[in-house]
Amino acid sequence: MGNGQPPPAVAETERTYAPHEAVIEASRCLMCDEPPCNKGCPAGVDVRRFVRKIRFGNFRGAARLIRDANPLVGVCGRVCPQEILCMEHCTRANLDTPIDIASLQRFAGDVELGSLAPLPEGLRDRAERVAVVGAGPAGIAAAVELRRAGFQVELIEREDALGGVLAFGIPPSRLDQSFVESELDYVKRLGVSVRLGAHEADPAALLARGFDAVFVAPGLWRAFRIGLPGSDLAGVVAASEFLREVARGGRPSVGARVVVIGGGNVAMDAATTAKVLGAERVDVCCLESYDEMPAFRSEIERAQAEGVEFHTRTKPVRIVGERGRVTGFEGEGIRWKVPGSLAPTNAEEIPGSGFSLPADTVIEAIGQGPLDRYPGLAATDRGFLKIDPETLATSIPGVFAGGDIVSGGATVVQAVAEGKKAAVAITAWLDARGPKGGRR
Amino acid sequence: MSRVSLAVDFCGVRFPNPFILAAAPPTDSAEMIARGFDAGWGGAVVKTLGLEHVEVNLVSPMMDGLKYEDKNLIGLENIDLISNRKLNEVLPEVTDLKKRYPDRVVIVSMMAGTEAEWKEIARRVEASGADMIECSFSCPHGMPERGMGSAVGQDAGLTYERAKWVAEAVKIPVLIKLTPNVTDMRPIARKVKEAGAAGVTCINTVKGLIGFDLDTFAPRPDVYGQSTLGGYSGPAIKPIALRFVAEIAKDVGVPVSGVGGIVTWQDSVEFMLAGAGTVQVCTAVMRYGYDIVEELIEGLSLYLEDKCLGSPADLVGRGLPKLVAHEALSREWKVVSRIDEERCVGCGGCAVACRDGGHQSLCFSEERRGSDLERVPVVDDEKCIGCGFCRSVCPVAGCITMVERPAVELAK
Repeated sequence: MGNGQPPPAVAETERTYAPHEAVIEASRCLMCDEPPCNKGCPAGVDVRRFVRKIRFGNFRGAARLIRDANPLVGVCGRVCPQEILCMEHCTRANLDTPIDIASLQRFAGDVELGSLAPLPEGLRDRAERVAVVGAGPAGIAAAVELRRAGFQVELIEREDALGGVLAFGIPPSRLDQSFVESELDYVKRLGVSVRLGAHEADPAALLARGFDAVFVAPGLWRAFRIGLPGSDLAGVVAASEFLREVARGGRPSVGARVVVIGGGNVAMDAATTAKVLGAERVDVCCLESYDEMPAFRSEIERAQAEGVEFHTRTKPVRIVGERGRVTGFEGEGIRWKVPGSLAPTNAEEIPGSGFSLPADTVIEAIGQGPLDRYPGLAATDRGFLKIDPETLATSIPGVFAGGDIVSGGATVVQAVAEGKKAAVAITAWLDARGPKGGRR
Repeated sequence: MSRVSLAVDFCGVRFPNPFILAAAPPTDSAEMIARGFDAGWGGAVVKTLGLEHVEVNLVSPMMDGLKYEDKNLIGLENIDLISNRKLNEVLPEVTDLKKRYPDRVVIVSMMAGTEAEWKEIARRVEASGADMIECSFSCPHGMPERGMGSAVGQDAGLTYERAKWVAEAVKIPVLIKLTPNVTDMRPIARKVKEAGAAGVTCINTVKGLIGFDLDTFAPRPDVYGQSTLGGYSGPAIKPIALRFVAEIAKDVGVPVSGVGGIVTWQDSVEFMLAGAGTVQVCTAVMRYGYDIVEELIEGLSLYLEDKCLGSPADLVGRGLPKLVAHEALSREWKVVSRIDEERCVGCGGCAVACRDGGHQSLCFSEERRGSDLERVPVVDDEKCIGCGFCRSVCPVAGCITMVERPAVELAK
């Protein structure tokens, strides 16, 4: 820290196995018949099979197997909540501890990074052009699958880099950016044409420009704000903007005391990132109890390990400041009026439970919505797109949608699964439609 | 997926890949072999069959494994017998199997007593459409008592006679499966060659005794309080198998189908380097399922690609020129142990091994490194004879290497 450049916050998850360690861990696998791990992966990775490949020394085969099912092999090895997916029902847990599938996947992903991974053989080019709007996990998965099916794919991204939430959301302390870049090289090598810095918010216009189908997966980049008294003070920020700045290499000054409002994974990322940036004390205030918080248990534990303080079952009341700058935060305890609903409107203040915290920065992490309204696409009040759950088709024929803009926010691997599903649906739709104009 | 063709020609028969299911429980029916073929196996040796009238009276249990630390199947011992299915029941299955999988190689393993019996089975197997015959001269239990199995394979004369009977009776290539329960397999393999058989399968199980029950004093596997010597297989016998394959390939020059302890593609490559033209797997398939052939195929393909080799045949026997007699080894080449201090975890396992199993040339000394006292390994080059045992016990990959002994200073 001496030269003013803090050390890169390299996460624990960056440590990967040496080959012999990977084989030892893989050889703990019981190689179950009807393995429960396989049922846990939204992206459909054959977990048992890739673990077996590592066990018997076929490392590259393992890398290829996973990349075929999920182009974000290494990323998911780092950010997947394996404890509630593939590892949750690992049979080995009945004996001692589950197989560390996360580490094995990281190992496999590193064997053949995107820049080295072999391209599929016998790719049969098709004439149809498909536009994918948004280069986050859903868009990347869809683009890769559509390209493998032979389509001419254009991946259109508003930002100046691929990755979406991988590049602009998940903090570097959880996901090393140089790694993300090398993994995403595969997308370009596959022959997906990439257009960066292009803001496309009109899918119908893309169809009119000659695309045969459009997949809309732009993610959620508009931060919801609470609208508290004092939220216009300097030092009050939205978590997504804060994390975006850090992900792009920025080191915003947060001061010594930080309050984070929200109980989701983004709030956990904001809290731990504030710690990395030098905050002495970070307080998380959320409506939910520990058990009710939407953040993954592992992320809550990570924040606790970093020394983050939690004020659960509390609601924010106001932000206070002096001379236009935040100096403190006031909240109070709540209970739920009706059991079972975690909606803010269901919260009831507990009289006399008010508290205040000094704060140099207040970060609001209460959720995000779509940046754009898409003309002609059916959507909810908040702008989330409505689709046919089977085909991911929107209200415009030829336009499909998936990822967070539909789900409202889920895991990277869930977005990958939806991108793959969209590619299958789009292929089926184009096959059924036949060549444009009746002949090719 | 693979760019390199794994097809091999072995004894005049084309195999889509060199991986064969050995004669054993995984090949006891066409239904099982078909599942193996679906998984990718290039060939299968149907479990050993005798004539219909031969009674096969099994005991149970007939298997027991060798546990070592956390591994429960380093080796497997069986007191199983030849197939208890009837020849006239299995051969129509073979015919059907060949129709369904014309590109795969079906080999039928057989065992008989008299000349007439050997010839009868051989002709019936040939008529079924099987590609090859494998004669078991090697089962170490159950059969030798009746003058069959390894009782044949341990005797060059009996081997010659029977191999000749079968080779003369049929046109399809005949493999003779030999027993390692001999001091030298080469004279026997020479007789196989002389008799006109196409090649040998090497090795069958090693005669063994897997252990005792410490409470009942009964040997294992415990068959109603008693047991018998059995056939030992699995990873534990790999070095023994490699030895016999290498000796036969080098000194007899007969095609060898290598078998004994193969689990991974790396094991297979080693057998090929030792001279095996095809490899057979049994215990690993029994343990992990037919699917492991996927790793054998993919691993071998990627390896050949890396080595810029066009075929598995390019590996066969490639290691043999470097296998020489002990007296031919260099006496000028001297090495000493070098320990990478950065990687060393300080367990001292090498020091114990050198002190009590070596030449007392390796110890740990406490040295001050910054503010810490660290255990640092020290090798005394004067005393180190370069035996390499420390490297074998070190738990850290690549931490201990054997390097050429530094030139001795003349002043000394």
